[in-house]
Amino acid sequence: VIAAAFSRPFWPLFLHALGAMLLVGAVLAATIVSYAGRRRPAAAALRRSAFWTLLAVAVPAWVVTRVFAQLIFDDEKGVWGGHDPTWVGIGFAVADAGLAVLLLSLGAAFWWWRGGRPLANRILSALASVYLAMLVLALLAMSGKWH
Amino acid sequence: VDAFQWLLMLHVAAAFCFVSGSVAAGVLNILAIRAERPSESAQLLRLVRATLPVVGIGSLGTIALGIALWQHQHYPLDAFWIWAAIVLWLVANALGGMGGRHQQQARELAERLAAEGDVSNDVLHDLLEDPRGNALSWLAGIATLLILVLMIWKP
Repeated sequence: VIAAAFSRPFWPLFLHALGAMLLVGAVLAATIVSYAGRRRPAAAALRRSAFWTLLAVAVPAWVVTRVFAQLIFDDEKGVWGGHDPTWVGIGFAVADAGLAVLLLSLGAAFWWWRGGRPLANRILSALASVYLAMLVLALLAMSGKWH
Repeated sequence: VDAFQWLLMLHVAAAFCFVSGSVAAGVLNILAIRAERPSESAQLLRLVRATLPVVGIGSLGTIALGIALWQHQHYPLDAFWIWAAIVLWLVANALGGMGGRHQQQARELAERLAAEGDVSNDVLHDLLEDPRGNALSWLAGIATLLILVLMIWKP
């Protein structure tokens, strides 16, 4: 681990992968909580949990994932001679468009937490599910190096 | 996409299920510890069970596909980083299982207290915040993190 700590290529990829795993885990937790909240609309703990999971875990994890993705890309973009492979495009598209979905999810979670509206819960469930599907697509494209 | 890329893609997808499912379980467990009433703790600990199929599929997928990759890529039989990852995988699963049993005890007590007036007591508080029980889950997480270090570093 000490040797790895001094290895330049190790940290960006490690932190990018770790951030992505934390992001998927937090969005999964928020999705589970939001669907459970449909059956128990009065459960304040679920409403609070969805919001804080997205704010305290998912948003910082998104930042770590995106920052280190950019560092890796800046280091390696010369390898592809100006023609980025499909998997790189999918990764960036999901990261950047995903931020909008994540922030909208956070807004819906806040609305559900403070207002307790079933509509807010349904919007949160839908957005979190869509974002989870987007993240799965990105991880498959990036790990399989889709051309 | 050739055979290697298929194997790698599914191996990484399984790793995401394993780690992200564990993260989701950990987040729900932390929220259960911080909940005010036993009914809230019980509710959040029940939701941890929804993550278990994800963690289980991910755990089995990482080891099976990892061994398939080992064979496909002709890595040496004495590769330290692979054996270290297998040992850590066993440790993570054993500790995670023990931590899960501790959470199950806390959930059962929280459900009983919720049905008896929904007032917390010292026993539930101590069980939820038991340093030994929580340490098992945190150590499982550290073992999983070390597997990720080995998979990226490949010393």
